[in-house]
Amino acid sequence: GAMRSRAEVDATLRTAKLNPGELLPAVHCLSFGPQGGAGECCLLQLEAGLCAELQAGRSLVIRGEKDEKAVLCSKDKTYDMKIADTSNMLLFVPGCKTPEELNTDEASCNIIHSQIAGFSNNYWELRRCRPKLKKLRKLLMEDPYEGPDIGKDQTSTASKYTTEDLLSLIQASEEEILHQLQVIDACVIDGYWRVLEFDYEMKLLNHVTQLIDSESWSLNKVPLRTCLEELGPLEPTEMIEHILLSYGRKYTDDAGEVYFEMREDKICRAIAQMLLQNAVKFNLSEFQEVWQQSVPEGMSTSLDQLKGLALVDKASRPETIFLLKVEDLPEDNQERFNSLFSIREKWTEVDITPYIQDLCAEKQTVGALLTKYARSSMQNGVKVYNSRRPIS
Amino acid sequence: TTRLPGSAGAGSLEQWVLVELQGEVEPRGGGALPGSLLGDLHYTREGIPVLIVGHHILYGKVVQLEKPFAVLMKQAADPAGTHYTVTALIKTKLLFKTRPKPIITNVPKKV
Repeated sequence: GAMRSRAEVDATLRTAKLNPGELLPAVHCLSFGPQGGAGECCLLQLEAGLCAELQAGRSLVIRGEKDEKAVLCSKDKTYDMKIADTSNMLLFVPGCKTPEELNTDEASCNIIHSQIAGFSNNYWELRRCRPKLKKLRKLLMEDPYEGPDIGKDQTSTASKYTTEDLLSLIQASEEEILHQLQVIDACVIDGYWRVLEFDYEMKLLNHVTQLIDSESWSLNKVPLRTCLEELGPLEPTEMIEHILLSYGRKYTDDAGEVYFEMREDKICRAIAQMLLQNAVKFNLSEFQEVWQQSVPEGMSTSLDQLKGLALVDKASRPETIFLLKVEDLPEDNQERFNSLFSIREKWTEVDITPYIQDLCAEKQTVGALLTKYARSSMQNGVKVYNSRRPIS
Repeated sequence: TTRLPGSAGAGSLEQWVLVELQGEVEPRGGGALPGSLLGDLHYTREGIPVLIVGHHILYGKVVQLEKPFAVLMKQAADPAGTHYTVTALIKTKLLFKTRPKPIITNVPKKV
């Protein structure tokens, strides 16, 4: 249809009994665009920092397979997406000026014909969430690296994932994914991210600890060069360096030589896992004796090293210990608590903390989680937590 | 996966404005919405938005949004799934919450 003229606008003002003298001279005549608008565009409410990221030219990505709820990822954060309804009508108008913009633009045209690009009565809301990283470990465990001797590694790439593959499959930001890969000691072999099969990892670690012992090196000063020379004939040099990086802290001395300060807690913990995975449970004191004898000379074992890996049953006589890995438990909060309460009816805060710590959202405490998902009571003078609902 | 690119190429993202109205928008006389007129938007010299829609006057206010919006536009569907692009940012809204004042066109004559 024909666009409105100044005369028509003025006539409307007279009918409305509005005094043009009290108004700014410019008027926007709003009409609906050719597509009508509904369904073509939607609104996404931006959390702090995201607007600046978009304006700086960075992208946001929506990730989720058909069976997953969509999340939005920036470069380093992950957000849940939820539709929020409003009882009002939201119209999006390009080129619509605010009073400030009109006042500063003296030459502004008297009539601004603005087309409404779209309208909606809802928008996407974002809420920062924990990145969904359990799937990352699951994918990499489909085909753990067992060493170069195993011929099968040359063949299939079906269960092998590049960085790009992981970015498209994991509901997390790139930085969160790369950080988690480092946490689980993954490495790139032939362009694919791999985790080491546990037995192979222990074999590599054993080479290193035996060498440290035979060379009588200090645990804080293990030389990279000599390790590669001595162990090179036995294993690929990349794997030797990888195991040193996983279980030690790298540093360079004044002469430019690379050394590793071995991580006592991590080594003792790995050796405990090796011992514990062979049976359902162990007599605690027997285990502690064997464990201390199995770790490198100069290292001391402590049950503190096993948080999130093993659980002590203080109620049994004699006391026992069994493997319980937090990474094997469900990722969802309610499912995690259900699983923990089905393993043990009542937990002390000290015992349960390592198994729920990773559920804490930004600024959320373990205490807040316990208040929400558990019920507390006193048992023999000690505060314990149990399920809020009956566990079948 | 859907990538929402930020401001691609030269120039920054367009800034649009949100107009928030109560109730639903219906075309006049039962016609189609596309192409039809909504109304005239004026501002008073104090910066108050005034919207004349049909026989109603709406007074509103300019609100700087605490959380800006990104306008996502759907691209043509392809086998990989639905794709959206960020078309514009919205940092300001014109909120019309007041009850519309009807425009009285016939004043009864005194007898």
